[in-house]
Amino acid sequence: MNGAMETVGLVLVIAGCVFYAAGTIGLLRFPDVYSRLHALTKADNQGLLLVCLGLAVLAGSVQVAFLLIVVWSVGLVAAAVSAHLIARHARHAGEPHASRETER
Amino acid sequence: MTATVLGLAVVFLLLNLLAGLWRIGAGPTAADRMLAVLLFGSTTVALLLIMAQWLGDASLRTVALLFVVLATIVTLAFVGTPSDQERS
Amino acid sequence: MTVGVVVDMMLGLALVALSLRVVTGGSLFRDIVLFILFGLLVALSWARLGAPDLALAEAAIGAGLTGALMLMAYRSIGADTEERPVRRRPGVALVVAVLTGSLVAVIGLAALGIERVPDAAGDAVLEALPGTGLGNAVTGVLLVFRGLDTMLEMAVLLVALLGAWTVLGDARPGRVHRVDRRTPLVGSLLTVVAPITLLVAVHLLLAGTDAPGGAFQAGAVLTGCGVLMVLTGTLRPTAVAGFATRLLVVAGLAAFVLVGAGAGFVGHAPMTLTGTWAVYLIETAMMLSIALTMTLLFARARGLRGEGS
Repeated sequence: MNGAMETVGLVLVIAGCVFYAAGTIGLLRFPDVYSRLHALTKADNQGLLLVCLGLAVLAGSVQVAFLLIVVWSVGLVAAAVSAHLIARHARHAGEPHASRETER
Repeated sequence: MTATVLGLAVVFLLLNLLAGLWRIGAGPTAADRMLAVLLFGSTTVALLLIMAQWLGDASLRTVALLFVVLATIVTLAFVGTPSDQERS
Repeated sequence: MTVGVVVDMMLGLALVALSLRVVTGGSLFRDIVLFILFGLLVALSWARLGAPDLALAEAAIGAGLTGALMLMAYRSIGADTEERPVRRRPGVALVVAVLTGSLVAVIGLAALGIERVPDAAGDAVLEALPGTGLGNAVTGVLLVFRGLDTMLEMAVLLVALLGAWTVLGDARPGRVHRVDRRTPLVGSLLTVVAPITLLVAVHLLLAGTDAPGGAFQAGAVLTGCGVLMVLTGTLRPTAVAGFATRLLVVAGLAAFVLVGAGAGFVGHAPMTLTGTWAVYLIETAMMLSIALTMTLLFARARGLRGEGS
């Protein structure tokens, strides 16, 4: 059973890393600050959740799982507030939204 | 095998970090550059947690908690407006 | 080539590349952001090197507080949002870089070449550690074996605060760039995060005797809480330092002196800490002093008051 649990945990961690990569790609490729923010925050938090789940499985202890949940929750709050504040700042500075026409 | 996979995950996330640095050079506005700080922050938490398991050091989870709790300070400092314009 | 070596190489290269970019980079804001990221990489490096106490301190101070301080300074000097290139003097920079690099290289190579001496101080500390009742060697060195150094560090912190107050002079408390708490989400952030900060700080303080942690790390986390409150306007700077403020600011140094000198009066050698109670007392006082001092320095104030008063 131990081997199966290990595999599950590792798969979750790897899946989390894939989400992180998606967030970074969004940061690099999206056309304006709002969409980059959107991609980054959502993908990174999802990635963090999967990584936390995977590590909780690998650690095999309830205490560790609880701590990881707390870390993720606070990370969620921090990311949400940071993203909102940055978007608000960009909006007040008059940053334009990229429109579909400008893509071509 | 677990150790190798976790180590590779660390390498992969580090590559993510370095890729995000590009946005600092390229991003037209200051907000874009702050996005790199967001990326670094979120990825650092994941890195610390993975390293806690990989290196077998449970205190790194405390470091991750500490970091995530203080993560908004830089954003707040970036966004804040001069208080002269507000009523005290 | 194991994965660990790859990680180490990547971290090393990234550190060097980032620091090069910070020093030679083009615009001030970009350099500040790169410096913040550099701090994060250093914290990760400490974690990789198996130094969680240092990683704790670096994550709290280097990544969060120093970055915020620099950003506030950047706004204060009235730099506009346009990126302004900074003039450099490449000749001088090159000479300084070569000299510093050579110095570090020489020291590093010498350290690598030293043979492990059987009576090394580190071994002596590890042997004597169980006798002190502590489990964390770092705390042992900081408080028990080299307590005098730590006491002098607290004095340095106090002097830094006094120096800052002197420079502040009679000016009214500086403008603090803050995000009003009524802004959406910010109030909730404070409600959720501030209590957790306090919990983490107390945990680090109490855990510091047996696990990574201690007064400095706890003080840094508590400073983070204070800075959060200053940045959101929950704590406002005042121009006058009240009695409670002055008391707390010297508490760390005072606790050290009282317990250390007191030991001399009771018959032990001076600066002997006679039990873990002494360690906890001194560390608690240090934590409060460090947190208040750094928050005051951050807010450029002599005191703090609540929002409505």
